[in-house]
Amino acid sequence: MPDVKEFATGAKPTWCPGCGNYGMWEALKRALAQLGWDKREFAVVWGIGCHGNGADFLDVQGMHALHGRALPPATALRLTRPDLHVIVEMGDGDGYGLGMGHFIHTLRRNPDLTVIAHNNQIYGLTAGQASPTTDHLTRTVSTPTGVLEEPVNPIGLALAEGTTFIARGFAGDIPHLTQLYVQALSHKGLALVDVFQPCVSWNHHNTLQWFRERVYKLEDTDWDSTNRVAAFELSLSTFHDLTCSPETCRVPIGVYYSESGVPTYEDGVAASQQPGWKRAEEPQDVSGIAASLG
Amino acid sequence: MSTQPAPYGPEVRIRIGGPAGFGIKAAGQMLARVFARGGYHTFDLTEYPSLIKGGHNSYHLRVSEQEIFSHVMPTDLLLALDAQTVSLHLPELTQGAAIIFDPADAAAADLDLAGRDDLCLVPVPLTDIVYEVGGVKIMRNVVALGAVLGQLGFPLQGLLDSLEAQFAHKPAEVAEHNVAAATRGFEVATALQCTSPHRLQVLPPRPFVLADGNEACGLGALAAGIGFYAAYPMTPASSLLTFMAKHAEDQAVVVKHTEDEIAAINMVIGAAFGGTRSMCATSGGGFALMVEGLGFAGVSESAVVVGLFTRPGPATGLPTYTEQSDLRFAIHAAQGEFSRVILAPGDHADAFDLTWQAFNLADRLQTPVIILGDTYLSDNRQTLDQFASDDVTVDRGELVTEGKVEDYERYALTDSGVSPRVLPGVEGAVQLVNSYEHDAHGWATEDPATRDSQNSKRLAKHKLAVELAPPPVEFGPREADLSILLFGSTKMPTREAMKWLSAEGVTVNMLQLVTVWPFPAASVAEFLERSTRSLVIEGNATGQLEGLVREFCLREPGHRLHRTDGRPFSPELIYATVHRILGQHVDLTDAGAVATTRGAR
Repeated sequence: MPDVKEFATGAKPTWCPGCGNYGMWEALKRALAQLGWDKREFAVVWGIGCHGNGADFLDVQGMHALHGRALPPATALRLTRPDLHVIVEMGDGDGYGLGMGHFIHTLRRNPDLTVIAHNNQIYGLTAGQASPTTDHLTRTVSTPTGVLEEPVNPIGLALAEGTTFIARGFAGDIPHLTQLYVQALSHKGLALVDVFQPCVSWNHHNTLQWFRERVYKLEDTDWDSTNRVAAFELSLSTFHDLTCSPETCRVPIGVYYSESGVPTYEDGVAASQQPGWKRAEEPQDVSGIAASLG
Repeated sequence: MSTQPAPYGPEVRIRIGGPAGFGIKAAGQMLARVFARGGYHTFDLTEYPSLIKGGHNSYHLRVSEQEIFSHVMPTDLLLALDAQTVSLHLPELTQGAAIIFDPADAAAADLDLAGRDDLCLVPVPLTDIVYEVGGVKIMRNVVALGAVLGQLGFPLQGLLDSLEAQFAHKPAEVAEHNVAAATRGFEVATALQCTSPHRLQVLPPRPFVLADGNEACGLGALAAGIGFYAAYPMTPASSLLTFMAKHAEDQAVVVKHTEDEIAAINMVIGAAFGGTRSMCATSGGGFALMVEGLGFAGVSESAVVVGLFTRPGPATGLPTYTEQSDLRFAIHAAQGEFSRVILAPGDHADAFDLTWQAFNLADRLQTPVIILGDTYLSDNRQTLDQFASDDVTVDRGELVTEGKVEDYERYALTDSGVSPRVLPGVEGAVQLVNSYEHDAHGWATEDPATRDSQNSKRLAKHKLAVELAPPPVEFGPREADLSILLFGSTKMPTREAMKWLSAEGVTVNMLQLVTVWPFPAASVAEFLERSTRSLVIEGNATGQLEGLVREFCLREPGHRLHRTDGRPFSPELIYATVHRILGQHVDLTDAGAVATTRGAR
């Protein structure tokens, strides 16, 4: 079984001290070690943002793709390489902002991907602008009078589009997050784990402490993670306003919804059952198709 | 009246015109198939506005005993599915041309013939016949196709065979009604005995392939072992998506209609990372969206093939027409600098050859290869003897697909700029493919020396690209009265015009730039050096190819012919232009031409 250490490149992370990305990095390494995945068996695709700098710290095979565009290459890699598990790491600005089109359409497909969203509700790498998940009326450098949009509800969107595993994690609880990752990575079909990951430099509202006072674990309640409609209502409850108290503003973490046995996108694609490169081992005879034209 | 330089051998030009939504293209293509099976060479040109129903559509089919290279302007037989078609296409009708029309649309006396009395009118009650045989109105086409064969004196059987094959999977009465409709149309037209000089007889059969440019391109990709194709529909590239989708299952190719062109190219990069030969295609507007991904492919050294089939822009432009105005766009697309190859197929055979070669180049160079086509090539069907499928080779360059490696570096520095590629999944091949500048392993870096060495490495591949990319192809005599330089589909009408000119003793040669990037400067300079007079033909307003000649050859081409009204260059236009440059006025019409030529400065 691989050791947690084997998944670190040895590069010193450039994240700010106290950044939520450390917890997410640690939890993923632990989950991979716990699952015993060999490095040959999976690939990771990152978007661009603070989360994406993790591409230099996690020692795995993968792609550090474009901003907002981690999902399309990951989808195609999984479609053409049935021998690989594919994990996507994306940010909230990255995946829910610029990449929202890809996000919604990926949800519709139920590809066999694990999608981890680093949700710090702010643009960190570009120095503090509002992100699609920044709370309503939050003042940021790009919204000095407050954000006028409602925040994106990724869990609600995922439920609407038929995602088969949906969880929310908290970077401040590494053991809990590790277990969510293990479940997500073991899920066949699209698994979305949206992780609240406080930004110490730019988000002075949704801090580690703010979350610590509000999160609770769904598994500690009688939560039924097979009830899609209830999960949707729960996703609405996590939209908190800036003034809410720890008592009134509760943030559920854990598995919101899970459904097994749903065919994946790859299941429906005959050509996806073998590595795509095998088709190019020699020229293919197309004389039959040529003759059938016209 | 339309005239044409002689001789062009026995041939008949048929136009079918009518409202959009009448199945005009499908009917025309059936006719093309019948004549191709009857031993003829065919070339068709479809013109339709970007509407599903409503506007005027037309389909022009050239049928010849001899090898032909393009469409031509005249029409010898006009099949008018509405009265408007007659007035719209009257100027292109040749001496003694026949018009098949439905008297229910307009009585013969009411047709707008502008006083011409040489025309042969063939009234066929298309709608009445449809109802007479118990059919539905959409079958007017079928009656009309029967009438076309009757008028040409060509046997009906080929059409009946085609109809039976087409409706084989439908209830028996569908084929029966269609056969009856075609037969009745044939009989009525034959009985009218309209004396038009244009007749066709069955020739000895010969092997043929009837394909449009997109089909030729798709076949080339399949032959090359493509495993992933992604696209968002955009005219004129859409039919390549439907072609690939149709063959996805039996050819074991993953074909994805994506949410947008951005996803298409990023998916292609992801599939290429896994080692799969991957391609996307679009037109200018979709390519604009792909530009970001193209740069990612460049910096990540991904072996991807991108089809760019151009149409008139900017923005939505003229969706269903043709233009060659994205040459510079293709060359310069994406921020930063990296090596790329741009191949410009000039005809259907090229489209097949260059597509499979594009995959080899992409693998050898590990950089994007663009196939630059246009609507004229994408949409129009031509008969070929066959595609050169025996020539297809698969060269994946330095690629390890299985096994084990040690100390692997994805972006190792090499003299050629190409680093050996080991697929993810191979033991020891842990690697990062990166859109950031990166070191040899793939990890992001801002170290100035590493940045310089990696950037230089990517640009170094240009030298290998010059070596590997297909050279220009020269047509015509070595010494000529006029030397023509061009790229892409303009090759087709130019070859046709050269045939006419050659028959008159006018010598013209032509250099077709097969690879437009890296720009083949030495060959172009040598060609121009040898020329008496030179002419650059390109379908844009600003002389994009001409500018490259100036930049890379330090030469001033003598003459230029541009076209930007959305219509393809016709051989008539090129023929007349050559004569004008040589000091002779020729009165040939290319209806709708807004071509501009300017003399040497």
